[in-house]
Amino acid sequence: MDLLSNLAMGFGVASTPANLAFCLIGVLLGTLIGVLPGIGATATIAMLLPITFQLEPVSSLIMLAGIYYGAQYGGSTTAILINMPGESSSAVTAIDGYQMARKGRAGIALATAAIGSFFAGTVATLLVAIFAPPLTTIALKFGAAEYFSLMVLGLIMAVALAHGSVLKALAMMVLGLLLGMVGTDIYTGTPRFTLGITAYADGLNFVALAVGLFGIAEILRNLETEHTREVMVKSIQRLMPNRQEFREMAAPIMRGTVVGSVLGILPGGGAILASFASYTMEKKLSRTPEEFGHGAIAGVAGPESANNAGAQTSFIPLLTLGIPANPVMALMIGAMIIQGIVPGPNVVVDQPMLFWGIIASMWIGNLMLIVLNLPLVGLWVKLLSVPYYVLFPIIMAMCAIGVYSVDNNTFDLYAVAFFGLLGYVLSKLRCEPAPLLLGFVLGPLLEENLRRAMILSRGDATTFLTRPISAGLLLAALAVLVLVFLPQIRSRRDEVFTESDG
Amino acid sequence: MSTNTNDKTDQATGLLLMAAAGFFGYQTTGLEIGTMFRMGPGYFPMILSGLLFLLGVLIFLKSFGRTSEPFGTIAWRGMALILPAPIIFGLTVRGLGFVPALFIATLIAAQASVKMRPLPSLILAVVVTILSTLIFSYGLGLPFRLFGPWVQF
Amino acid sequence: MTPFLNRLLLGTAMVAGLAGAAAAQFPERAVTLVIPFAAGGSTDVVGRIVADKMSTHLGEQVIVQNVGGAGGSLGATQVAQAEADGYTILMGTVATHALNPLILTQKPYDPVADFAPVSLLVLVPNVLAVNPELGVDTVQELIDLAGTEPLAYASSGNGTPLHLSGELFKSMAGIDLTHIPYQGSGPALTDVLGNQVPIIFDNLPSASGHITSGSLKALGVTTAERAPSFPDVPTIAETLPGYETYSWNALFAPAGTPPEVIAALNEAALAAMADPEVIARMEEFSATIVASSAEELGTHVTAEMAKWEPVVTDAQVRMD
Repeated sequence: MDLLSNLAMGFGVASTPANLAFCLIGVLLGTLIGVLPGIGATATIAMLLPITFQLEPVSSLIMLAGIYYGAQYGGSTTAILINMPGESSSAVTAIDGYQMARKGRAGIALATAAIGSFFAGTVATLLVAIFAPPLTTIALKFGAAEYFSLMVLGLIMAVALAHGSVLKALAMMVLGLLLGMVGTDIYTGTPRFTLGITAYADGLNFVALAVGLFGIAEILRNLETEHTREVMVKSIQRLMPNRQEFREMAAPIMRGTVVGSVLGILPGGGAILASFASYTMEKKLSRTPEEFGHGAIAGVAGPESANNAGAQTSFIPLLTLGIPANPVMALMIGAMIIQGIVPGPNVVVDQPMLFWGIIASMWIGNLMLIVLNLPLVGLWVKLLSVPYYVLFPIIMAMCAIGVYSVDNNTFDLYAVAFFGLLGYVLSKLRCEPAPLLLGFVLGPLLEENLRRAMILSRGDATTFLTRPISAGLLLAALAVLVLVFLPQIRSRRDEVFTESDG
Repeated sequence: MSTNTNDKTDQATGLLLMAAAGFFGYQTTGLEIGTMFRMGPGYFPMILSGLLFLLGVLIFLKSFGRTSEPFGTIAWRGMALILPAPIIFGLTVRGLGFVPALFIATLIAAQASVKMRPLPSLILAVVVTILSTLIFSYGLGLPFRLFGPWVQF
Repeated sequence: MTPFLNRLLLGTAMVAGLAGAAAAQFPERAVTLVIPFAAGGSTDVVGRIVADKMSTHLGEQVIVQNVGGAGGSLGATQVAQAEADGYTILMGTVATHALNPLILTQKPYDPVADFAPVSLLVLVPNVLAVNPELGVDTVQELIDLAGTEPLAYASSGNGTPLHLSGELFKSMAGIDLTHIPYQGSGPALTDVLGNQVPIIFDNLPSASGHITSGSLKALGVTTAERAPSFPDVPTIAETLPGYETYSWNALFAPAGTPPEVIAALNEAALAAMADPEVIARMEEFSATIVASSAEELGTHVTAEMAKWEPVVTDAQVRMD
């Protein structure tokens, strides 16, 4: 069979000593930068591009890919340990992962994330190998109207993430959408909400927003009670999950993998939605939805798997069409062009060694990551025994460097301070930052696709309903909305006089 | 604590949201709205500002007749020292360079804890600065200027 | 540094008879090449290939720094305001040195007065391509079709050379096409491949893979002559005589940089562009090597601004 011989060829390419070494360097470096708060895969890959000049094309792409998914692994570690998500996908992991860490279950949370990611990575790699070309055609069926409806569905799901008031979650989402509008309007070039600061002409920096809202707000929360109690729970229980916990994570991992694999194929926003979608799904399917937000293992297992599966399948449009699904993929295209490879549909035919070598290396890289990361769990957890008053200045220093390294823009650092304050105020007001973050990420895409869809349909708003995929997505959004509001209405009846905790 | 007849938190949230909606709404007034066919830069933000204002009003109104939860202690010291740290780093990194800027920022942030004594904080800042320089500047090769024009002759 | 201080320093150096010696020492440390766009784009690729070879020739590292944002204006402004010592240089493009200065209502820099030209490196052709399902094979058929039904074209963004290539095409052909801007070539290509939008103006390098594979049909290149990498694709000018647009990349230093330093940079750039490896890469990239003198680049910038001004005015493209 073709697939088998192709895969065999791929593994042949990927397992030469040199390529194994580059894969290892990539995942190690990726893990390192993923763990350091603030600094992300995009900045690192951008910096390493010149180094890859000297390498074989396959080796350089294997290394860059390793950095990419290594950073995904490492990013979850920081999200779980100090509530500091480096990428939008790990913002979801932070919700329950950090709560698990506070309850002394950091080891289990980290192990769950690693196991989920490995399973998802394995399955998704196989999917890439088998379905890359046919899956691409699905991605091409998505026009502006479909993307708009997909974003609506994603945003509605984000509201379901919240474990407090639905109204507040909706408000946070809208606030996030508005913050996402900051910057230059791509249709007319008009600056919006920039207060005349050119450094914000391309919008607020995601890392600055996430670090401020999540990380700095958390530091401030921890500082307010530091003379009365210890910030971190010192008694750390087991590091590895037991049989019961394995059983709890199995189904979420499978579902997360499916959701992530499917959404990852869609360029622009697909992979971002995956972890949010998985979280919502698990919360709805769980028999104990009240545990979510307070350290539910399924709330870590599902989104982490979805996130990693999405990261793998986002290579599909890159490899088959030469189209980047996210900024990291755009850099990979740059790396290919520098190497004299023209990205596009011809890569599979013209460069089979490269194509299959990269696919095989993805699996090898995932294997390396789990072998590396499971023993590291103990080490990471030990970090929590560092006194908090020593830990947080280090975190602050890392954040400052990380945020600055993204664009060398000092205004991003001022934004960190602003969003740290906002995040703290919002947490005092019991408003959750996750819907805000998703709104911020999806806001520009939502608007861009809405306006594009309207231009293409020449002002006819029914285009969202007459295109079948779009209509289906909107219907799904409606269904989720009903599911979210139903228990609210029901509980309102049950607790006429007692306020449900906000 | 639960003697209040209305929820202060939700009231504050409602007001904050209305203020934010007001800010964005006001900024939108200068933008072109456009038509359904060709939406201008102000079209979508205008809808969103309206929606946010509405949500703020709803949250504000719902707060009446409900019990309030306390705000709890507020980390004034934390805010006063943590939030300026990235700002000071931003103000000085170009002029003083990476090393002095990071040292100052870390030193300031470290003062946010009441448990931090002067000498340990100094040691911490030195160690963090040295390690970060090694990792980021030499290890990852970030193109930072270690010492800027203000400290060079 | 103020021009006055510059002149003072330069004057002092000359009085001391050190000017020649100082220039001979250039560079004493690493040179930063600011690329005013995100990593991975075509300017970035050209910049990195050239920086790599320039490093060998200068004997000091040429470090690439991506300062993306505001259509290249942020990076260009940074270099315009940098010290005029040759250690901070810019990979300028048609956007930073011809289009932005015409489009922006607030002008953060002056493309002529704030920069010292170093060398025009390459010209990159653009291409007009359609989804094969549109059923047109030539530029003339497209023009005829546009007369009978409303059509839209995709570009990599508002105010980009590709957008304005489209606007110039519209005005010369006397037709109307709805412009749909995207955030870069990638997403624009996706929608044209999926036939969400039928027409695209794109850089030849980024579209070339799809043209070879047949998933896009190239109707014409925007340069005056056919592109060597696609000899079968006619030029738009064969249908609309006089139509010519292209993207270009050129090195600039801040105004006031000593002529000896400019000469050293120009020499290194020319040496880099003559390197067989660079020649091969640029050919794969469908870019034409120019490797001009500093004076030629100066003339080129003025000519480009004069050419684009009426297009920008006609299309009412504007950014604040």
